[in-house]
Amino acid sequence: MAIQGDEQTILRDPALFYWILFPISIVMILTGILRHYATVLMNSTPKSPSTLAESRERLALLRGVNLRNNACSVLDRESFEMRKNYMVSGFRSGAFLKDPNNRGKPPANPMTDPAGMEAMMGMLKGNMMMMIPQTLIMSWINAFFSGFVILKLPFPLTIRFKSMLQSGVMTRDLDVQWVSSLSWYFLNLMGLQSVFGFILGSDNSASQMAQQMGMANPAAMMNPLQPGQDPDKLYLNEAENLEVMEHFCILDGVEERILQNFAPAGI
Amino acid sequence: MASPVTDIREISGSDLISALHLAQRAPAILGQESGSAAISSKSSDTADYYARLEQLMLVCLRTGDDQSAQTCLNRLSLRFGPSNERIMGLRGLYEEATAKDEPALEKCLQEYDNTLSQSPVNVPILKRRVALLRSLNRPSDAISGLIQLVDAIPTDAEAWCELADLYQSQGLGSQAIFSLEEALLIAPNSWNIHSRLGELLYTCASDGDACRLLGRSVQHFSRSIELCDDYLRGLYGLILASTRILDNDYAGVSGQLSKKTLEQLKAFALLKLGEIVESRSVDDQHWASSRSELIAAKELLNRQ
Repeated sequence: MAIQGDEQTILRDPALFYWILFPISIVMILTGILRHYATVLMNSTPKSPSTLAESRERLALLRGVNLRNNACSVLDRESFEMRKNYMVSGFRSGAFLKDPNNRGKPPANPMTDPAGMEAMMGMLKGNMMMMIPQTLIMSWINAFFSGFVILKLPFPLTIRFKSMLQSGVMTRDLDVQWVSSLSWYFLNLMGLQSVFGFILGSDNSASQMAQQMGMANPAAMMNPLQPGQDPDKLYLNEAENLEVMEHFCILDGVEERILQNFAPAGI
Repeated sequence: MASPVTDIREISGSDLISALHLAQRAPAILGQESGSAAISSKSSDTADYYARLEQLMLVCLRTGDDQSAQTCLNRLSLRFGPSNERIMGLRGLYEEATAKDEPALEKCLQEYDNTLSQSPVNVPILKRRVALLRSLNRPSDAISGLIQLVDAIPTDAEAWCELADLYQSQGLGSQAIFSLEEALLIAPNSWNIHSRLGELLYTCASDGDACRLLGRSVQHFSRSIELCDDYLRGLYGLILASTRILDNDYAGVSGQLSKKTLEQLKAFALLKLGEIVESRSVDDQHWASSRSELIAAKELLNRQ
């Protein structure tokens, strides 16, 4: 056991600092920047619907959600019931589906459906972009720098931090303040977000995209359906949500509310 | 670069006078920006900049400066490519605005139909087509086109509002009310649409259902005031609607407000409107864009 209150001293070669600490940090920053540009390069814009029916299939769901969320601030009972019945029967009968005849059949295999394939590839590319550099760098650090203690934190920490700060160094008695090279890598991995924000501008991977999207029509581009999801199931779900809805309206009594909140007492 | 650019945002687009002032400076703005863009092309390449360019183009078209509009359009299509949907819409708008006669407009329509047969969900072109049909004085075609559009894209509040307007112009009150309610379902906190719906209900309330419609009208006007407490149009409508209910003795009928509340409401609206008119008359320049509303409000106050 380390004796409490007694400062541990380890003689470190200052070269450790220049040849391990700096390289790891710089490599992490550079990969972060590289990954940002790679993401921008490989990002494919979400595919806009190609027919009016497809667009309706996507947006009918949003219409149901809108009705459910906002009906209370707009509609009186009569028009609410009318809309509810219309939406529910539409959802139930599959009137909003792109292809009502295909209803009930199992959804096309996403592997054979080109649109689904594309979306899956997009996700895969995004994940790869995270995974591959991480694996490479981690194995690089493990191969070259494992087992080095490179840094001493200027403040004391409790024993719990030992596994976080000293991965790769199996010494029980080493004080928690010492940081191993592998741990330094992890700290960089988690903690460089603000540095990237500084270098690449705030919301970095998204900034370029927003600009491209700015010229398109955001309302028409939205797609609440995930690839491979069966819209019919979502519709039935939404129909159920709508059916159990109780009508109330914040317009009831709005006149008294105004008088109470805005009018001076004399009126 | 900073000074003319910030001005664009301050001037409200709906006012013709300020639009004219702005459009007169357009050549200067465009010339200046092309100079500075050469130096720092990266910094001006933002969505904000292009949105402003689009606004400038619209203003130029409205005030007859077709040349500057062409410059704006060229710059936009240089950046986003002529096959971008929104650029296609803007180009269509430009062609329409510069069309000399009816056959030229018909040709635009033909072009839109061609584009749509290739890509049926080109929203800007769909909307341009409806607007063109409307300006060609074919409202029923415009309505059927819009119905197609809102059927495919039911989450577009703008389209629903336009549909309501078209219906109203054809005298189809209840359809117009339905469309505006749909628009409100998408944007439930927009006080202008609330008050627009109030106006619509007020104008539709002539037949047997008048009592209920007027009551709803008062509710929507009140809601618009609740959301924006010095909204002149809402207050104006509230006064008109409550006056009409009181005059026709609808107050206190089943489910309606009591006479006392309505009178209080009317008194409150009159008071508030008086305050607003007073304060805005002082600061005349700032409220230049809504001068006509102010005059109407003054006239209403004099009448009461």
